[in-house]
Amino acid sequence: MFRALPVARQASSKQTKGLVRISRRRLVTETTTDATPTSSTAPIKRKKRLLPRLIFYTTAATTTFYVGSAFVAFNNPSYHAFFQQRVPFAPTVLQYGKDHDWDVLTIADVIVNAYDGVSGSYSYIRKQLGYSVDETPAKAPEAKVPSKTKTAKAAAEARAGEVKGRVQKAVDALKTDVKASTDAAYDQGVKAAAIARHRGIQFTQGVEELVLEAEAALQGKPFKKSPSTHSEAPVPHDPSTPVTQSMLDSSEGEPTGPPLGNVYHAPLPLGHEPPPGFTHPPTPQPPKALAPGEPLPLVAPAVEELHSSEPILTHLAGTIDSLASFLSANPTATNKARGVLDVAKDDLSSLAQSFERLREEEKTKLEQSLDEQTREYTLKLLELELQVQDKLESQETGFRAYFEEEKAHFAKAYREKLEHELRTQSDIINERLKEEVIAQGIELQRRWIREIKLRVEEERGGRLAKLDELAANLKRLERVALDNSTYLDENLRIHALWSALRAVNNTIEAPMRRPFRDELRVLRHAAAARDDAVVGVALDALDAGDAPDVGVEPLADLASWFTTSVAPAVSRVALVPDGGAGVLAHVASYVLSAFAFRRRGLVHGDDVLSVLARAEYHLNEKDLDSATRELNQLQGTARTLLKDWLEAARRRLEVQQALELVQTQATLASLLVAQGL
Amino acid sequence: MSSTPPPKPSSSEDIVAQKYDRCLADLLVKSGIGFSIGVVASVILFRRRAWPIALSTGFGAGAAYADCDRSFNPARIAGVRVVEHPPAESK
Repeated sequence: MFRALPVARQASSKQTKGLVRISRRRLVTETTTDATPTSSTAPIKRKKRLLPRLIFYTTAATTTFYVGSAFVAFNNPSYHAFFQQRVPFAPTVLQYGKDHDWDVLTIADVIVNAYDGVSGSYSYIRKQLGYSVDETPAKAPEAKVPSKTKTAKAAAEARAGEVKGRVQKAVDALKTDVKASTDAAYDQGVKAAAIARHRGIQFTQGVEELVLEAEAALQGKPFKKSPSTHSEAPVPHDPSTPVTQSMLDSSEGEPTGPPLGNVYHAPLPLGHEPPPGFTHPPTPQPPKALAPGEPLPLVAPAVEELHSSEPILTHLAGTIDSLASFLSANPTATNKARGVLDVAKDDLSSLAQSFERLREEEKTKLEQSLDEQTREYTLKLLELELQVQDKLESQETGFRAYFEEEKAHFAKAYREKLEHELRTQSDIINERLKEEVIAQGIELQRRWIREIKLRVEEERGGRLAKLDELAANLKRLERVALDNSTYLDENLRIHALWSALRAVNNTIEAPMRRPFRDELRVLRHAAAARDDAVVGVALDALDAGDAPDVGVEPLADLASWFTTSVAPAVSRVALVPDGGAGVLAHVASYVLSAFAFRRRGLVHGDDVLSVLARAEYHLNEKDLDSATRELNQLQGTARTLLKDWLEAARRRLEVQQALELVQTQATLASLLVAQGL
Repeated sequence: MSSTPPPKPSSSEDIVAQKYDRCLADLLVKSGIGFSIGVVASVILFRRRAWPIALSTGFGAGAAYADCDRSFNPARIAGVRVVEHPPAESK
């Protein structure tokens, strides 16, 4: 709804300002016209909107204020004090802040916490949305990595272990090789013996196999090869004792293990094993023909001579014997076994013999090597011995030379010391001689002086005595003359002093003010000639001031000055109070003192007017001293007015006093002189 | 205008008389100045009324009286403290 009239009026009035204005006005009027119907509800709405807004802003402001104040308080102690005391609920806020470590909060902490919050919320949201996300994005890779590394580590460790084992074996092999080449002959010998034993054991191994084969054949079982022999094949170079141990273990143990497939058919040299991976060919079945009644040949006696060195052979023999006995128990199989057993017996004995042969060979070889070694080492020993001997000889010569040097050095030092001692002794003696000579000289001088004195005394007794008398008389005369002159001088001085004094007095007592510097100078001169301390002091004090240059006021002038100007002025100020007297007080005093009675003569009282009266009286009596004393008692404004007059009076009095002093002294001096110095 | 020592031709007993003379001169001068200022102010600011003139003259006279009082009583000068010792008066 448009209000046509107001629009028109406004439009007409603002037409000159431009179209834009009009349009804006239109819009404004539109909205206002729209609002006017709802004007009744607007205030209520506004109020409603206002109240929550007010509450919100108030709460926000208060919270901000408290929190901000807490932080500021933690950083600024004066604000902290103010905040704590003046603002209600402040201590609780501060306590809360302290509990939550607000006072150690820094901007970095804030940033870190914000970042953590944001990242945490981000990850949470992602999880909620269904994305797979690491629990702790920062820590998961770390967890994965350790596991991986662990497996890798384990694998690496295992491989390392393997490699290490292999390396160790190779190293050991090398070591043992090296050891064998550098150790002493004993080790080598032991090694050789071990090798020989090993070879022997290999033979016994072969025998054992045969035995086992025999057993198996007898029992009708297939021969199972023991893997223990195979395992020993690749390690023939292990260190001696473990090897023998393992050999023993394996040879005494039961043959167990999986049978290996490949069979090695080529003929094996004696004592050698088939290559790894190949087995022995199975021994052919022994013929089983045997006479039933024939006893089985025993194997044990055949190898009895080797019992001490090779117990294994004997053991095997024993086993074979047991087998034979078993066979004898079973007569049916004896014929078959006989052949086999004979073969076995022959084989064993041949083996034993070959074994013995090998042993002998090895022994001779060993002895040869030992001899070589001993030869070498003896040569080396001889060389070293020669070297050491040479060194010893050189050292000995060096020591001898050093010894000779030291001896010469000591001899020189001792000689020097002796010379020094001689010199000092001679010096001492010379000194003593000199002193004695001097003492003698002094003694002689003293004796001569004494002699002279004696002679002089004698003379004096004679002619000098008379001269003495004459001199004494002369002196007396002198004294008399001097005394006379001093007396005369003294008198003159005193006369001069008196004259000067009189001159000064005249000047001072003159009716006009006149300077008396010249007269004072003369007086001082006269007084200085007499060297009188008191007079000197007094005149010095007088001379120091400027009174002699200016002159002193005549008494008459002072009196008239007082009477005409000073006294009236002072009496006008008589009633002014001593402290804090303003203009009004002065004016009052002026007026009232005009009506005061004037008293004369020696009036009693301490007030200003009485004092003035007394002073006037004294002045009339020509007693300046008393008058000055009286006026000196006044204080305050009166005193300031009297200053100049008092100054003049005081000056005059000082001069008078000094002159009186001089006069007294002069009188005294003249009396003394009259008395006779 | 404290009590300065008098020059040589005038002696100390004329101090008070000199103070009176100075006070009178001050009064005349300051009242005159106040009067003139009052006249000017009255003409310009107060539309030719009488009371500013009297007021200003009064101000001048008052200032003169205050100065006079201070010259007679140095203790009343601003910043002066009289210590109760007979020989010395601190300034």
